[in-house]
Amino acid sequence: MKTLSRGGFAAALLGALVGAALLGLGVGGSGLDAGEALAVLAGGGDATARAIVWELRAPRVVLGFLVGGSLAVSGAALQALVRNPLADPYLLGLSGGASLGAVLAIVAGVASLWAMPLAAFVGALLTVLAVYRLALAAGGGLDSRVLLLAGVVIGAFAGAITSGILSVTESVRVRSAMLWLLGGLGGVGWTGAAVLAVYAIPALAIVVREARALDLLALGEEPAQHLGADVARTKRRVYVAASLLTAAAVAAAGIVGFVGLVVPHAVRLLRGPAHRGLLPAAFVLGGALLITADAGARTLFAPQELPVGVITAAVGVPLFAVLLRRLATRRLA
Amino acid sequence: MSGAPVLELTDAAVRYAPDALRLDGANLTVRAGECVAIVGPNGAGKTTALRAVLGLVPLAGGSARVEGRAVAAWTREELARGVAVVGQREEPAFPITVEDAVFMGRYPHLGPWRRPGAADRAAVRRALERADVAALAARWVETLSGGEWQRVRLARALAQEPRALVLDEPTASLDVRHEMELFELVADLVQRDGLAALVVSHHLNVAARFAHRLVLLAGGRIVADDTPRRVLTDPRLSRVFDWPIAVQVLPDGTPQVYPERRPAAGPAIKESR
Amino acid sequence: MGREGERAGPESGDLTVRSHTDPLSGGLVRLRPGGFGLCVVALTACGPQATRTAAPFTDAWGRAVATAPAARRVVSLAPATTELVFALGAGDRLVGRTTWCDWPAEARAVADMGNGIGPNVEAIAATRPDLVLVYPSEGNRAAVAQLEQLGIRVAVVRQDAIADWRGTARAVARLLDRAAAAESLLAEFDRRLAAARAGPAPDSPSVFIAVGSNPPIAIGAGSFVAELVGLAGARNAFADLGGPSAVVSLEAVVARNPDLVLVLGPGELAAEIARRPGWRAIPAVREGRVLAVDGGEFNRPSPRLPDAVRALVARLTARSAAGPAR
Repeated sequence: MKTLSRGGFAAALLGALVGAALLGLGVGGSGLDAGEALAVLAGGGDATARAIVWELRAPRVVLGFLVGGSLAVSGAALQALVRNPLADPYLLGLSGGASLGAVLAIVAGVASLWAMPLAAFVGALLTVLAVYRLALAAGGGLDSRVLLLAGVVIGAFAGAITSGILSVTESVRVRSAMLWLLGGLGGVGWTGAAVLAVYAIPALAIVVREARALDLLALGEEPAQHLGADVARTKRRVYVAASLLTAAAVAAAGIVGFVGLVVPHAVRLLRGPAHRGLLPAAFVLGGALLITADAGARTLFAPQELPVGVITAAVGVPLFAVLLRRLATRRLA
Repeated sequence: MSGAPVLELTDAAVRYAPDALRLDGANLTVRAGECVAIVGPNGAGKTTALRAVLGLVPLAGGSARVEGRAVAAWTREELARGVAVVGQREEPAFPITVEDAVFMGRYPHLGPWRRPGAADRAAVRRALERADVAALAARWVETLSGGEWQRVRLARALAQEPRALVLDEPTASLDVRHEMELFELVADLVQRDGLAALVVSHHLNVAARFAHRLVLLAGGRIVADDTPRRVLTDPRLSRVFDWPIAVQVLPDGTPQVYPERRPAAGPAIKESR
Repeated sequence: MGREGERAGPESGDLTVRSHTDPLSGGLVRLRPGGFGLCVVALTACGPQATRTAAPFTDAWGRAVATAPAARRVVSLAPATTELVFALGAGDRLVGRTTWCDWPAEARAVADMGNGIGPNVEAIAATRPDLVLVYPSEGNRAAVAQLEQLGIRVAVVRQDAIADWRGTARAVARLLDRAAAAESLLAEFDRRLAAARAGPAPDSPSVFIAVGSNPPIAIGAGSFVAELVGLAGARNAFADLGGPSAVVSLEAVVARNPDLVLVLGPGELAAEIARRPGWRAIPAVREGRVLAVDGGEFNRPSPRLPDAVRALVARLTARSAAGPAR
């Protein structure tokens, strides 16, 4: 049973996004409130207020939208690809590879702003490639169980190397590395958001094009073929696109968990599993969620700032529990 | 009567291992308005033959054609518009309603971008009714019984509005009534709508009732391809199935088979006759 | 020369009133702070040593550490301790240091033992030390226990704050039998520190002390750098932070509008930080009021502290004099 009509659901989603954006623009450690922020957007405000809104808050809202949306879509696509509701964007060893890349950059002492995002991005893509090759070598066609296993294995390998490196690194750098890995939206600013958009938009287009094929794939590979899906091609494309989305998101914001896992399920519950609607809805909901989480990360323990991944986990776990309950009660219907 | 050939295998061979042929020299034709049943013991290659006809396995020899064209020349989407397949087993990974599941039968006609129109919705409605699952439309697929789910998948196949139906063990989980209903439906589609139907079944008797022709497969080879009356004979069946089988003929001429009890080697459990 | 018992150092209350126990026994007696000002001469149970007074001292983990015999082969597991040993004129007694011990230059000639936290106990034992100076981190509990089991004398010394450092200087000097050197070192230190602070004072600017840029980490009260900044006549903008350091939101920094941003690291790092997104919202960054300080003397208390204070005072007054346009 769908609780909301299609139009109602879309309106609610957009409302959630606008609300989240207002929240993100309206709270922060400096006491500037939403009204003043809106005034700045309209063109007024003094130098400090303008700096706060344009340099600090607005980029985080935009980045939160892009990162949260990318992770949610990537998670949804991977869940369909491997036919497993527990899949998340970091499934295929991506988080291990990104961590390794980032830690190497920190340990090498490269101070440039772009060193870590680039290293995380390259690390993520290299592991995806390794998992891909491993799965293919294990025998034909990107079998989903083989993919899962290969991802776990390679991710664990990368994680072990990362831990090893951290154990011999000096503590200040270790702390830096860990904090970056826990996720945060403050690091890359407008340029980072632009770069993310450059990667995310084409990747999104690819995934959305395969939306109907993903619906079919969820039935099983043979039924999907019988219903007209080119399974091998779809898997390849979605695999690449989802990996790009995740790698770009991790490069911009570190490893933010739970968004990619929980948001697709929430949308499925509220709207149904058809991917043509699921994917855009997941993007918007994921974005709104991350913007809200970031607002919390910045203000809950002011002046300190928590890693945003902590908030998404703290919120995501009870949310997931609620979803599970609803799923369970529905099975009895 | 039967029309142009829709599904054809000519001298098809399928090899799974270097020295093992799963299918050898198979010749098979299913015409429009005709129902052909493939029967045979386990491991005879029945499902392989289906896969070969649909172009899902590479052929080690021979050819497979659909509507006169090599199957490899069809895109999967094009093929799905013409041929609907109901496989043996299916388990959706995510919860889905019956209506949404049947609606996926329209996907080959919609492609990635086209929005569904009134014609699509009408086709789905018709399919739901013909498969007798209209009452289940709002149910979640995971709450259905095995038989209901099988009928829903048949409805999805009908929603594809195909010119040929390929069914792999379609009545495995169905009771007598639903089994008969399904085959009556297939027979109706074949006769009235001119579909070509290719059915793999273990149920020799039902196949014999409804199929125009039986294709008997054993060890990868086609042993017989003819009307049920001519295919189902005692000696042949007993040899192929490696069990004594007797054939009786119904008043309307349809042969029915029954397997004999094995002659008791030790003390009989009960006296017969 | 070894009669230190009566002077209560900054680790006050740690005067011992009983004889220590042999370090070979694993269970060291925890000596609770007794009174103060009592000087008790106690003969140790160390066998036929000279009858100098050799009251043991209590280290940062409440362990009693024997001060006799004087240590001849010392392993130092913290850069601050290495510097201290050299400053006490006992650098030739060092047989092991950590990878991070970079001052003075002679320290480089000492064998590298690896990390100071979670150290390689075997490598340390192989140098046959009679004293190991350990940093009080939880990661060192196991190593301390292992060294004790091997019968090696271990002293856990804290040097995070300037007050700690003075007490540790005296304690380590006792262990090395260089007490006089310690006193003269501290006297010199106090003199130079007073001199460094004697000149024109900057007008108490507020400083945001940044040690990380992504995410931004601020130094709070209770850490050495904060003390250093205070000694140089400035105020720490984040003195109210719960701990010695924490991740802060850039907006909080903007709200506190520090006069100056102090970056611990090389000059390129300061330039780099000024370019990072979001930091430009801080008026001090926009107007170029960013200072970078680099070097061990800014990271930990040491005999070089007065030099660090003098350098910092100079740069702060130069900024005040030149006005905010710098």
